[in-house]
Amino acid sequence: MEERNDWHPVALSTSIKPATSAGTRLFDEELVVWRDTGEATHIWEDRCPHRGMKLSFGFVRGDHIACLYHGWQYDAAGQCRYIPAHPDIKVPPAIKVKTYGAAEQDGMIWAALGPDLPPLPSRSATETLPVRSLYLRGGTGRALNLLRDHPPRSFTQEAGPAQIEPVSPTLFRIRAGTDALLIGVQALSGSRTALHIVIAGPAAAYQGAGQLHFLRWANALRHDAETVQVEPAATALGEAV
Amino acid sequence: MPALALYNYELDDACYKVRLALSILSVEYEAIAVDAFPGKEQTKPPLLDLNPLGRLPILRDGDVVLHGAEAILAHLARAYDGSGKWLPAEAAAFASVMQWLQFAASDLSVAREAREQALFDAPGDGTALSTEAARMLRIMDDHMTARSFAGASWFAAPHATIADIALFPAFALSRDFGVDHDEYPALRNWARYVRQLPGFTTMPGIPDYH
Repeated sequence: MEERNDWHPVALSTSIKPATSAGTRLFDEELVVWRDTGEATHIWEDRCPHRGMKLSFGFVRGDHIACLYHGWQYDAAGQCRYIPAHPDIKVPPAIKVKTYGAAEQDGMIWAALGPDLPPLPSRSATETLPVRSLYLRGGTGRALNLLRDHPPRSFTQEAGPAQIEPVSPTLFRIRAGTDALLIGVQALSGSRTALHIVIAGPAAAYQGAGQLHFLRWANALRHDAETVQVEPAATALGEAV
Repeated sequence: MPALALYNYELDDACYKVRLALSILSVEYEAIAVDAFPGKEQTKPPLLDLNPLGRLPILRDGDVVLHGAEAILAHLARAYDGSGKWLPAEAAAFASVMQWLQFAASDLSVAREAREQALFDAPGDGTALSTEAARMLRIMDDHMTARSFAGASWFAAPHATIADIALFPAFALSRDFGVDHDEYPALRNWARYVRQLPGFTTMPGIPDYH
């Protein structure tokens, strides 16, 4: 499947703090996204080879992530390095977690399932501020229709209609007046989509009130998604039930 | 012998709120084990005399007998928190704490029902309860997302309050009723701060990261 080879956003950068992990899905595959204490991000299959426990339930220590069940520790390459029940054995190389491509730019963490890593698209913003990750029922097509039908108002000035344009297959830019948002689109599954929303602009202009402005827009978008019957290409503004 | 006695069931999330507050406030107490499952001891005399609603937790502090985790948290904060921060007196912060305590005791009790259905086969439609509990957690996540824009890490004040203690178990135990933490990034971050509170303690179902 070609789209598997694209880069896909899986979290806002600010949602994965140093030494934390979180679970997510991409095309229904369970992934653990974690950041080591050196701040590098890692994206792996969310499954400990020992007993199949989700590694996202575990915890990060330094540049290792440890499984919650029995404390097996894995290094940044996914190689098991330490088994607490057998502290003296050299861990066989075969005990390894499947790892995926991980990158960070535009305020988001990106995954590529491979096998080949595509080139990362060039950076779209020099500075970003997080708004939120929005989780919606339905596939990515429905989410994009919602975005087109419910564009945000500008924060910094009154302006004409917002414009949405693709930057890559999984990243969109919305311009509203002089404001710009970046929207990363994540296919959690065929029936659930995450939109990772950041402001492309300086903190001095948007921190606090600007973030809140676009948070309210995002929450209203979700409200419409859940209360209006949306069929692809059949929605229009003002159809609220 | 400590002046305080907590009628306690280790697997009860509401009892855990009280244990967590007692631990954070460094208050000594005696835990009186109640056979809540399968015995339902709290629904019968003599415990019914202490709480006619037949629920845990129940706290005895000298002559004072209290039931309802949120009321007990308020009592502990007023009686044993010298800093005055856990239940702040200032009007706005006090009211915000009360708002979230009320949410924890009423709206969020669906999480408790979902968990008791999943773990103890209590009555109810498990799927419907979990869905509604997830909606309540989302309200919490929305709140903490907005709070983060102002650099705030806690629900009701610039510092931790008993509101954070009352809200924590429903999120920390949500996997017990099939709701994962994936879609609540702001709550994940908040829970990390709760875990770092001096005196933080866990319960079965909430991992202790050794």
